[in-house]
Amino acid sequence: MNWSELLSAPLAFKMLAAAAVVFAIGAVALKNVFHCALSLAAMFFALSGVFVLLDADFLAVVQILVYVGAIVVLMIFAIVLTERITSASVRQTNYLVIPGVLLCIALLAGLVSVIRASSWPSLESGPQQDTIKIIGRQLLSTHVEAFEVASVLLLAALVGAVFLGKEITRK
Amino acid sequence: MELPVLSLVTFIPLVGAIVVLLMSSENEKAVKATSTVFSGISFVFSVVLMVAYNRAIPDFQFVERASWIPQINVWYYVGVDGISITMVFLTALLSFMSVIGSFGIKDRVKQYFALFLLLQTAMTGVFVALDFFLFYVFWEAMLVPMYFLIGIWGGPRREYAAIKFFLYTLLGSVAILLAILAMYFSTTPHTFDIVELGKTHPFAPGLQMILFLALFLGFAIKVPVFPFHTWLPDAHVEAPTAISVILAGVLLKMGTYGIFRISYPILPDAARDFAPFLAVLAVINIVYGALVAMGQKDLKKLVAYSSVSHMGYVLLGLAAMTPTAMNGAMLQMFAHGIITGSLFLLVGVIYDRAHHRDIDGFGGLAVQLPIYTGIMSLACFASLGLPGLAGFIAEFMTFVGAFPVFKTIVMISAVGIVITAGYFLWTLQRMFLGKPQEKYAGFPDLSARELVTLVPLQVLTVFIGVYPWLIIDFMNSSMESLSHFLRGV
Amino acid sequence: MNEYALGQGLWEMGFAAAVPFTLVALSAMAVLLADLWLLPSQKRALPWAALAGVLLSAASVAFLWNEEATGFGGAIRLDRFSAFFAMVFLLGTGLVVLLSSAYARREGVERGEYYALLLFGTSGAMLMASAVELVTFFLGLEILSVSLYVLSGFFRQRPASAEAAAKYFILGAFASAFLLYGIALFYGASGSTTYAALRESFGSAAFPYSHGLLALAASGLLLIGLAFKLGAVPFHMWVPDTYEGAPTTITAYMSVVSKAAAAAAFIRVFGASLSSLQQDTSAVLWVLAVVTMTLGNVVAIAQTNIKRMLAYSSIAHAGYLLVALTAAGEAGYSSVLFYVLAYVFMTLGAFGVVSLVRKGEGGADAGAEALDISHYSGLAGRHGLLAAAMAVFMVSLSGIPPTAGFFAKFYVFSAAVRAGEVGLAIIGVLNSLVSVYFYMRIVFLMYMKEETVPVRGSRSRAGWVALAACVLGTLLLGVLPSSFARLATESIASIF
Repeated sequence: MNWSELLSAPLAFKMLAAAAVVFAIGAVALKNVFHCALSLAAMFFALSGVFVLLDADFLAVVQILVYVGAIVVLMIFAIVLTERITSASVRQTNYLVIPGVLLCIALLAGLVSVIRASSWPSLESGPQQDTIKIIGRQLLSTHVEAFEVASVLLLAALVGAVFLGKEITRK
Repeated sequence: MELPVLSLVTFIPLVGAIVVLLMSSENEKAVKATSTVFSGISFVFSVVLMVAYNRAIPDFQFVERASWIPQINVWYYVGVDGISITMVFLTALLSFMSVIGSFGIKDRVKQYFALFLLLQTAMTGVFVALDFFLFYVFWEAMLVPMYFLIGIWGGPRREYAAIKFFLYTLLGSVAILLAILAMYFSTTPHTFDIVELGKTHPFAPGLQMILFLALFLGFAIKVPVFPFHTWLPDAHVEAPTAISVILAGVLLKMGTYGIFRISYPILPDAARDFAPFLAVLAVINIVYGALVAMGQKDLKKLVAYSSVSHMGYVLLGLAAMTPTAMNGAMLQMFAHGIITGSLFLLVGVIYDRAHHRDIDGFGGLAVQLPIYTGIMSLACFASLGLPGLAGFIAEFMTFVGAFPVFKTIVMISAVGIVITAGYFLWTLQRMFLGKPQEKYAGFPDLSARELVTLVPLQVLTVFIGVYPWLIIDFMNSSMESLSHFLRGV
Repeated sequence: MNEYALGQGLWEMGFAAAVPFTLVALSAMAVLLADLWLLPSQKRALPWAALAGVLLSAASVAFLWNEEATGFGGAIRLDRFSAFFAMVFLLGTGLVVLLSSAYARREGVERGEYYALLLFGTSGAMLMASAVELVTFFLGLEILSVSLYVLSGFFRQRPASAEAAAKYFILGAFASAFLLYGIALFYGASGSTTYAALRESFGSAAFPYSHGLLALAASGLLLIGLAFKLGAVPFHMWVPDTYEGAPTTITAYMSVVSKAAAAAAFIRVFGASLSSLQQDTSAVLWVLAVVTMTLGNVVAIAQTNIKRMLAYSSIAHAGYLLVALTAAGEAGYSSVLFYVLAYVFMTLGAFGVVSLVRKGEGGADAGAEALDISHYSGLAGRHGLLAAAMAVFMVSLSGIPPTAGFFAKFYVFSAAVRAGEVGLAIIGVLNSLVSVYFYMRIVFLMYMKEETVPVRGSRSRAGWVALAACVLGTLLLGVLPSSFARLATESIASIF
């Protein structure tokens, strides 16, 4: 991809991408935790818009259902139900913020230049119409074992989360 | 099947160490007896070795060879020739004497003897190994028991002395390791075979120089060559008596043994280029060691520095490369082992009684301890090179052999003899002559156990002094062939 | 379909490749279920249940030792290499379980979750070593990581443990992001995530990216993720705090299993598949190896907490592993395998001793873990065997013969010299010289100092069995390394 291609990409794509970045920064930089959560939700929305424009409709829906509908909502619940967090404003930076930003910019510049310098092979077939069906079939045939392995990961995470989240009984 | 004598000499003490470890630490007598038995068996086998050895041929005898790590061509490969057989005997003899000399140990007896026997295996292993890897394993394996023996049973500054000894030696070992690796990878097919490399000596002169320096660093620390000697006074002084004997009698020899066994046959070109430099270091060792020894008030320190001086003669003989000088150097290694060994034992004897080692604090002991005085005088005379005793023959041969090669250096070295004579005589005078002191009146003279450790060494000293061929006969053919090879005759 | 045909079908699908992994994961679940039924007084059965799972899986690996199979639609592979690592992981886990049986009870964390997560982690590590496809590898990595995040925070009441978990989690998630980005770039370039496809694409001269910036960027990102798991400088920041705060047995597990898994994945990805990029990766690895060894050893000298000291020591050992990875080639990689095996015995042993030593009567916090280095003063007088075992591990870690550590280092440095990296070998040898100082200081304290704080050693039989196994392993690998070295060479040969 080169600059001219990037310029000719649909305006909507660029706007959504930019919005995703801005909200992502907001999610880590805003001083109020509640605002952070909202910004995160907005970022997920923008991201799912990007997916839609890439013809990945299934991913777009999953993005909203799982991340916005479940995860962020849970986070907001937690924040609202915890005393004194909602209104508190927390400083989100420390003395390393400037080196950190510089490092990120350097990484970004590096990756952008790499991606620009490479001409990516485009898929021969055109956009898929029925992505859900294809993904479903793939997951339950070719990748069925990997799919099962993912369940081990989730189980381990679940066990861990339950353990860490359980109330500590003091004797 | 032939009896694997070398393996027996080497590993019987290890078996002893394991047996001792399995014994109850309550039963100290049994521990001591067991250690004596195992060390004794090893000594007996070393005598068998001496008797069965064919002195006419310079090649390796009693060779045992078995594949150990075939992937990298490492062998369990042991054998002795004229260079190593006397050292194996010396190690077995001094270890046996030291085990008996250690009966006075009171603290953690079981551990002491187990570590001591472990040390004996490692030391013997160094002298019999003919595979670089095996050699290095023994060389390093020696470190840990020695560290414990100095660090736990040593004098007041034992911790410092132990860690200093450990780090110095390890620094040297690392240089040796790198040299071994470099040699391994610059031969095709890759080999650790010391004998093979000594026959083919396949390295280019430039590489030889680097290898020689790396190996020399390792060996020089062990000898110790000035300026790497600073660990020695600390270690020797702080170590318990028997360990000082081993340090001076056996460990120091490993440095010069390494040069004989490895540096010279494998790196002859570098050895020739390096010889004058070696001679200069030798003379520094001789004179500097003697001067510093003269300035010591502590008897044990004096003996320690005299070792620095005496090892200088070995270096001088090595540097000269003539058969006579090299025989002299080799004999000096043996003679110094028994003479300094007895000196350290004697220092231990007086320290056990007086609880100090301040030379000026003694006086007139000749009256109170006549037998002790006699043996001490004999050992000192042997050490200063009195004709008729072992030290004289060795030094004389070294000088005669080295004179045609390094005239000036030999003449300067002769100063060392004078100084040595000076400080030993002065020490004898301060300790034994003069008015007897009240506080030493009740001291018992040498006990039977002490005599058992001391007398054989004195007998050997006198015997070699009168009939040096006893030892030289073993090494002569090997030395001549090495000398001829080095000088390209 | 009758049963036989079903079995046959599964076998042909390469199910064999997944058997060891599946058995471990299933026993993790079994432990969880068992925990539900066990009364509090019966909880001591948990470690034995976990151990049974480990042994079962090990038996399956032994049974499949000479098999080769590809399963999961080409995503994982059973060969000598995965079998070797599976054995290493199971050995490590088994020893940790034994050590935990007393430790966890004493610290009040004897719960099903503890053992279940250990087994889950092991299953993840096994997946990492046997994966031949990037996404499956990533899944394995995440299973291992998630288990470890939780396990390192298992002392929920202790702030240090929480800090350990939080640091590890945040930095670990960050590292995973880098790793994923690298995977995405590889996928973008070659259109596939299997190692075989990577090898084919990047190995062919016609492939447009085989040496371009893209290949470098993608390998660089992947490398960051692995270097993090390995604990290599500059991705080591989490190591000291996490190692210190986590339960000691978990620290032992982390330092052994997670490092070995990272090394295994590294060899599969960079050694076997992206060998065309080897020159470029070696240059980077050279630098990583030097800074990792040096920083680890130098900073370890200044530590006063034994777990922190061992943490820096483990960083230093990651550096030695990187030396071997820099050397590459069959010699370099087989030395990695040998090193990992030796490392299991000596490091688990050292942490094992730490987990068994506690403060004795008299102090305010009697029974708490004795973690200060000064607590080891005079240990030999009171607990001769514990001190002797610790001395063996310290001697081995400093690389003095005749111990496993010596031959492992010898193998690594000789591989480096063989590969022409003489400078690197010299730096490595000098580093190991520095390390002697802090390892021998422990020995020095144990044997040559008087006791300052009363300490007592645990009498746990299981713990002692584990320690004895570690001592034996350490000596055996040092004295008779050849059959193990052959095993390492064969394992490497099976993936090239």
